[in-house]
Amino acid sequence: MNSKLLFTLQVISLVLIWVLFTGIAIWIGNLLFLSHRLHDAPSATIGISIVAVPIFFTLASVLTYVFWGLQKDRKEE
Amino acid sequence: MPRWGMVIDLDKCTGCGACVAACKQENNVAYNTPEEAERGRTLSWINIMTEVEGEYPHLRVRYLPLPCMHCDNPPCIKVCPVRATYKADNGIVAQIYPRCIGCRYCMAACPYTVKDFNWFEPQWDPEIKKTTNPDVSLRPKGVVEKCTFCHHRLIKAREQAALEGREMLEEEYQPACVETCPANAMFFGDLDDPNSIVARLSRSPRAFRLMEDLGTEPKVYYLSEGEKII
Amino acid sequence: MGYDPDEILYKPIEKPSPVFWYTVAGLLVIIGWALFMYVRQLYLGLGVTGMNQPVSWGFYIVNFVFFIGISHAGTLISAILRLSKAEWRRPITRMAEVITAIVLAIGGLHPIIDLGRPDRLLNIFRTGRLQSPLLWDVTSITAYFTASTVYLYIPLIPDIAILRDRGAKPQWLYKFLSWGYQGTERQKHVLERAMNILMVMVIPIAVSVHTVISYIFSMTLQPGWHSTIFGPYFVVGAIFSGIAALLIVMIAFRKVFHFEAYLKEVHFRYLGNLLLIMSLLWFYFTFSEYLTGYFGHEPFEMRVFFYKFSGKYAPYYWGMVMCNFVIPVLILSFKKTKRIPGILIAAIAVTIGMWLERLIIVVPSLANTRLPYPTGIYVPSLVEWSLLIGAVSVFVLGFVLFSRFFPLISVWEIKEGRETSVKEVSERLESYLPDTESVRY
Repeated sequence: MNSKLLFTLQVISLVLIWVLFTGIAIWIGNLLFLSHRLHDAPSATIGISIVAVPIFFTLASVLTYVFWGLQKDRKEE
Repeated sequence: MPRWGMVIDLDKCTGCGACVAACKQENNVAYNTPEEAERGRTLSWINIMTEVEGEYPHLRVRYLPLPCMHCDNPPCIKVCPVRATYKADNGIVAQIYPRCIGCRYCMAACPYTVKDFNWFEPQWDPEIKKTTNPDVSLRPKGVVEKCTFCHHRLIKAREQAALEGREMLEEEYQPACVETCPANAMFFGDLDDPNSIVARLSRSPRAFRLMEDLGTEPKVYYLSEGEKII
Repeated sequence: MGYDPDEILYKPIEKPSPVFWYTVAGLLVIIGWALFMYVRQLYLGLGVTGMNQPVSWGFYIVNFVFFIGISHAGTLISAILRLSKAEWRRPITRMAEVITAIVLAIGGLHPIIDLGRPDRLLNIFRTGRLQSPLLWDVTSITAYFTASTVYLYIPLIPDIAILRDRGAKPQWLYKFLSWGYQGTERQKHVLERAMNILMVMVIPIAVSVHTVISYIFSMTLQPGWHSTIFGPYFVVGAIFSGIAALLIVMIAFRKVFHFEAYLKEVHFRYLGNLLLIMSLLWFYFTFSEYLTGYFGHEPFEMRVFFYKFSGKYAPYYWGMVMCNFVIPVLILSFKKTKRIPGILIAAIAVTIGMWLERLIIVVPSLANTRLPYPTGIYVPSLVEWSLLIGAVSVFVLGFVLFSRFFPLISVWEIKEGRETSVKEVSERLESYLPDTESVRY
């Protein structure tokens, strides 16, 4: 497989992980909005979102950090 | 906004089961085979709990009709993951069948065991299906259902009153079980209206609610002389 | 490339035996059957199970709690061992992490199997309520699954790179997954840092997952469920069953792939010690949980209590005490029986016992309602049994497939242990000792 294509695919997979986690964040945001609008236990919703959202973004950041960190010494034969 | 509630006089209740039959008719509650009923799959929005006290020949049978308690602080709505059950402003705890995902968490959380689940697609005899109540939707398989205080009757009464350009009267809205009760043991009305019959009865020294210590604040009151049953 | 002392670790990947295909085929048949039973349930409704009113939850929720519990084997144990620099961890970490990833996927599917209307699953996105403990589960399991997959993947990168350089097939897979890793100092440093962050992150996530699962039960008002110690009780049980599952997997693959040189008796003895500690801890929690219930003698609580102690569920209850406490403690306390066959028996007993524990938590509280309702009966149907066996088969299949493409023992960690850690550990040990220069006589 040609190395340029390989690299593109790797970047795409990384982007997909970001898309997934952003999707989760949007979902939680939507639930926050709903609970606020319907006065349906907004405090519980806020409490959980504060914990959940940063975890996902930390994970994605770690993956991205590893990917870029590895690229510095990358060489394809 | 009224706060709808029910009072059931246990000293008058004969355990005849007319309320159960009327409820099934009114709300299109699906019938089930005896084998399935044996396995605990009966659907019934109001149940009559029977308790036999004493030993033969000094027996005493007590009956307790059990609809949904329409708690003011319902444990079922807290646990619903999709807002398929909620408390309306008039205090009625409603169930949204097209939204329910069938996780049955509300059934597990309800201390009164009043929620039913459609284990199979409800089977209707073609003749009976013709006579179903058009005001109440038929439930599909896989959703939870329960007593709604015949909420459709409230809508109907409200619309009728609006059509005639007047305020709706409290007596115009009566659930099927209350209307049917031949012993006149069931009452229904606005608990917040101090003059209504239910408000007056709920203040009676004979009045109690089921499992008051759980803090669920049920809106179904029972009347009974002597000690509480449960 | 010269002679590699760890040649045997690549063998299952480079020269898979025909047994691999037979196993996969056999498992696929079982999974196919389970799938057929599930489709039948979808078509006919949940009535094909043994669930009813009031026992509205059965095997599916039991298995859900059980499988998610097993997942604590992995990531948690490997993270704790790595953090505490336990050198004997090296051949164990990989398997532990794989267990977590596979079992979480299986466990996470169980609530969906349990749904009456799985077609409406997306409603949790449209109209979800984060107040419901079920959604706490959805979020925490998603977090744990992604975190533990990343935690499995990042320490796997050096091994993937080794396989890529050895020319293992399919090449594109290893090239794609190795992310251009060459093993330079800088790259090693990046991986190490990422692993350190993940180790610290994964432990609280793992603890939160099983705590939140216990909350499904303890947040309700039902007798037998409404308990404050359920969170830690479930976490302890989860780690307990996790270690047992890890031991079974280790013993099985040691035999199949001839890893005797890597997984030595000492590894089993150490994990056996952990299992023994967890067994005692589990007993302590069980004792506290039931004693408080019994002492208070609240009538509804007592109905559930006696249902378990002397009623219909007594065989399961006492079976659980046997499997989780008596058998493992007897086996693991004596040097003579604390050998691989004994440890295997203890681990299997614990796995069964922990499954029974989940059953004993879920069903009796539902069967004994507060109202004078007839006491519920629950007899699981063929569908539920099939799906349990199917779930176990998916677990084995996942493991077998993983072992076909990736080394089950972390090659680079073994190499690192051999090349640098011996020196490092002795230096570290010396640093623990009192400094001779500063000690004055």
